Amino acid sequence: MAIDIVMPQLGESVAEGTVIKWLVSRGGHVKKDQPLLEVETDKVSLEVPSPNTGSLSEILITEGQTVPVGTVIARLEGSRNSVSDNGRREMNLQPTETKEELCLESVHYSPAVKRLAREYHIDLARISGTGAGGRITQKDVLAHVNKGQIQPTPPFAPKLVISPRPEQAIARDELLPFTPMRRSIAERMVESRRTSAHVVTVFEADYSVIEKVRRRLSLTYLPFVVKAVTQALRAYPILNASWSDKGILMKHSIHIGIAVALEDGLLVPVIRDADQKTLKQLAQEIADLAYRARTKQLKPEEVQGGTFSITNHGGFGSLLGTPIIHQPNMAILGMGTVQKRPVVINDAIAIRPMGYLSLAFDHRGIDGATADKFMTKVKEGIEHTKGETTS
Amino acid sequence: MELTRPELLQLYYYLRLTRALEDRVTALYRQGRIVGGAYTSHGMEAISVGYALALEPDDIIAPYHRDMGAFLVRGMTPGEILAQYLGKRTGPTKGKDGNVHLGDLSKGIFAFVSHLADNLPVAVGAALSFKIRGESRVVVTNTGDGGSSRGDFHEALNLAAVRKLPVVFFCNNNQYAYSTPLRLQMAVPDVVERAKAYGMPGEIVDGNDVAKVYQVAQSAIYRARSGEGPTFIECKTMRMHGHSEHDAARYVPRELLDEWKKKDPILKAEQLLTQLGYAGQSDFQEIEERVEKEIDAAIEFAENSPLPDPSEVYDGVYANPRVEVHS
Amino acid sequence: MITATDHETTYLEAISEALDEEMEKDDRVFILGEDIGPYGGAFRVTEGFQEKYGEWRVLDTPLAESGIVGAGIGAAMMGMRPVVEMQFADFISCAFDQITEMAAKNHYRWGAAVPLVIRAPYGGGVHGGPFHSACPEAWFFHTPGLKIVAPSTPYDAKGLLKAAIRDENPVIYLEHKFLYRRVKDKLPPDDYIVPIGEAEIKRSGADLSLITYGAMVHLGLEAADILAGEGIDMELVDLRTLSPLDKETIMTSVRKTSKVIILHEDNKTGGIGAEISAILAEQCFGFLDGPILRIAAPDTPVPYSPPLEEQYLPKVSDILAAARQLATY
Repeated sequence: MAIDIVMPQLGESVAEGTVIKWLVSRGGHVKKDQPLLEVETDKVSLEVPSPNTGSLSEILITEGQTVPVGTVIARLEGSRNSVSDNGRREMNLQPTETKEELCLESVHYSPAVKRLAREYHIDLARISGTGAGGRITQKDVLAHVNKGQIQPTPPFAPKLVISPRPEQAIARDELLPFTPMRRSIAERMVESRRTSAHVVTVFEADYSVIEKVRRRLSLTYLPFVVKAVTQALRAYPILNASWSDKGILMKHSIHIGIAVALEDGLLVPVIRDADQKTLKQLAQEIADLAYRARTKQLKPEEVQGGTFSITNHGGFGSLLGTPIIHQPNMAILGMGTVQKRPVVINDAIAIRPMGYLSLAFDHRGIDGATADKFMTKVKEGIEHTKGETTS
Repeated sequence: MELTRPELLQLYYYLRLTRALEDRVTALYRQGRIVGGAYTSHGMEAISVGYALALEPDDIIAPYHRDMGAFLVRGMTPGEILAQYLGKRTGPTKGKDGNVHLGDLSKGIFAFVSHLADNLPVAVGAALSFKIRGESRVVVTNTGDGGSSRGDFHEALNLAAVRKLPVVFFCNNNQYAYSTPLRLQMAVPDVVERAKAYGMPGEIVDGNDVAKVYQVAQSAIYRARSGEGPTFIECKTMRMHGHSEHDAARYVPRELLDEWKKKDPILKAEQLLTQLGYAGQSDFQEIEERVEKEIDAAIEFAENSPLPDPSEVYDGVYANPRVEVHS
Repeated sequence: MITATDHETTYLEAISEALDEEMEKDDRVFILGEDIGPYGGAFRVTEGFQEKYGEWRVLDTPLAESGIVGAGIGAAMMGMRPVVEMQFADFISCAFDQITEMAAKNHYRWGAAVPLVIRAPYGGGVHGGPFHSACPEAWFFHTPGLKIVAPSTPYDAKGLLKAAIRDENPVIYLEHKFLYRRVKDKLPPDDYIVPIGEAEIKRSGADLSLITYGAMVHLGLEAADILAGEGIDMELVDLRTLSPLDKETIMTSVRKTSKVIILHEDNKTGGIGAEISAILAEQCFGFLDGPILRIAAPDTPVPYSPPLEEQYLPKVSDILAAARQLATY
């Protein structure tokens, strides 16, 4: 019995998706959850896992084609289950003739290939090899890395750093065709500006208390800021809301979206129930989400449902920003770079690590005074932070 | 030509110093305090003392393992030598080599290797450099009856003779090369026969008579210095101990040892000094005591000296290295 | 006498020039060997030298390799800079004892430097048979305290001989007799050295590394050109110095290309290639995207008859086969 593989909805307002690469060829055998293809939709690129075990009997949409969400793009044959079942698990059939083909344990990886896989956190099972006998070569791994613009990042350094582009001397003007991600970013940005009445208010916070605490705990600024924001959102819930035709929808839970820069785009994975998490948990989750954002491993639900967003544009040296609200939120906080500055305290000059915080808010639903009170609370949360123990 | 009193007394002093030092080495060895093997020149001290005292300070010696007397005459202290035997850092090789494998260019002593007769071509090379540079310096080298069987012995003698180089070849014929007696070592009665074959003058001398050795050495060295080329001097003697101190040498007939004990070089020197009226029993006693004190101080120095640090094993493979040697 | 003019200098002339220049400016340098005087040396390297420098600086010696190397050691310790010539590298085995026991261990044992150079014409391809074609480097590569150099070009030959003469340590200078008159180049007129211990990238490439030295460098370059036509870009590392090995350059190349072939004319087992393979396996393991390949002569003495010697010596086709295999691995 054949199952239809459809173009998934990856993101709230996504209407279509582009097939980037089939990871299994026609007739190839897949196991349940094994990555089937790479898809790009909205601002998300990711791999779609197979709903079931079987063989890919038909590929209806080829690489490069863009189709509406829900379109049947392939058919999976050979399993007694169908996705439309109510999830009852039955024994999966494993056709014996294909077992040897995909017996990954006996695949040989050279030392160079293994090292690269470690550094870039690549699952070698997902790469096809061009070497002798189908061997995965170093070049294959590097090609995979370069295509996905994966950067090797250590787990606990969630700085949103983009690796520098290799310099190119452009002798003539060059036309860059739109990627699906670029197209959707463009649309969303303009649409958000058109929709919300953007106003920006800027505050400055003293990070010295955080400085003392964060080194001891080996954390960056971001988890502290998230914590301060969640506390402020509890005090001023209008900032944690959505504009709708019928009124302002006050969201009960606090789900903080964290903007992650990619080499040619942007993703905003979400920390769910951020107010209920400890500093350490926040830090870990931030790192993990950033990581998986860059390696195209985010699940669709992880980029949906945010109620407030934070963008750490200061990671690139920016002092101050005027971010664009991530619809359908009511506000977004931009974090500027933290740097030592002379400030006046008790009529004397002191040197403190200071950073600007820029809140862009939707003036349709939020007034300036509220916004400023919210920001005062955020500032207080940052400046008087009591470090949590790392338990 | 007779020796003067100071000359003979100096020769005697060094005989005693050599004997005392090597006796102490033997004692230490038997107490298990020597690292590795011990090789002495017991009974043969007159040869090395005799030739070494005939040299000038800027001459060179390329000795072998039974030349303790020459080391001492050239300025190696008993303390340094004992430190070397004990594998200490204060020895001339800082623990890199053992027993009498020591050398010091500032004292004009080439450190030899265990491969006998390897030192001969090297000695010839030093003499070659003097000839090229027109220096009136001389090299004296030494090896045993066994050493005279090796190829390097012949190549060295040949080269020295062909080029008339300022080198004097000594040969300590102590009648045994380890356990090999002379008759199994060569088909000629005297080692000097081999040397004459290369076209250089050869002489035989009583190796236990320090005055005679000294005088013969002086003439040969003078010949060399004058540009007349090499001389070969065979010293007849007897090896009184085993090949090394672990060797009981039961292969040597007791009668031979008894016979040569009567010709002990120190005894002979004392006889000569007495005969010439240069010194008497009390002088000998005084010198003996002086020497003992020196050796006592040397032992103390050596035993109080530190061993080398393990990390030093990597040092010194290259001169002025740009590349380090690691494990 | 070879005079330095603005012409192309052969490998042999480069060696001669280096000797001449060093002898001229440094009185301590002198040469000794068999037939190097009026005859000018078996390969004419020292032609005219005795006329210029006299019989005490260009010493015709008896047939006694051990003796003359030993003499070189003694003279070196006395402040001279002797350059001993082995008529053929094959005869260096007569001096093995003096080289490995006296020269190599001297400084380590008692701090006495031995600034001695031993020149040894080595290598096959000249119908020399087993005793006029050998490559003796592995014996001495294994001996601590020695340096070994093996230039492949006239430029390197001149520069390395000067460096060897000026080095405080005993240096075995391997000159490849096959290259004597077959390679030539324009050399700079002024004084220069090639530092001992530095390999050189003779050809830069991205796909695989060929590590080699001596006459094999030219074979390697020939193969590289052919491979370039097939889209395989081979980098060629000319070791120039065998001991001490320039591990940095070797490893940098292998890290870049991830695939390596080691090529030498010497016999395979226990040749220098084996050591380089071990170093790469130990220290560049994570960068290897293919097995380390070695191309070398088989484990036999050098044979005499042309078809045998041809089979024996590594060929361009051997390099091509290995490179293609690795490139598509």
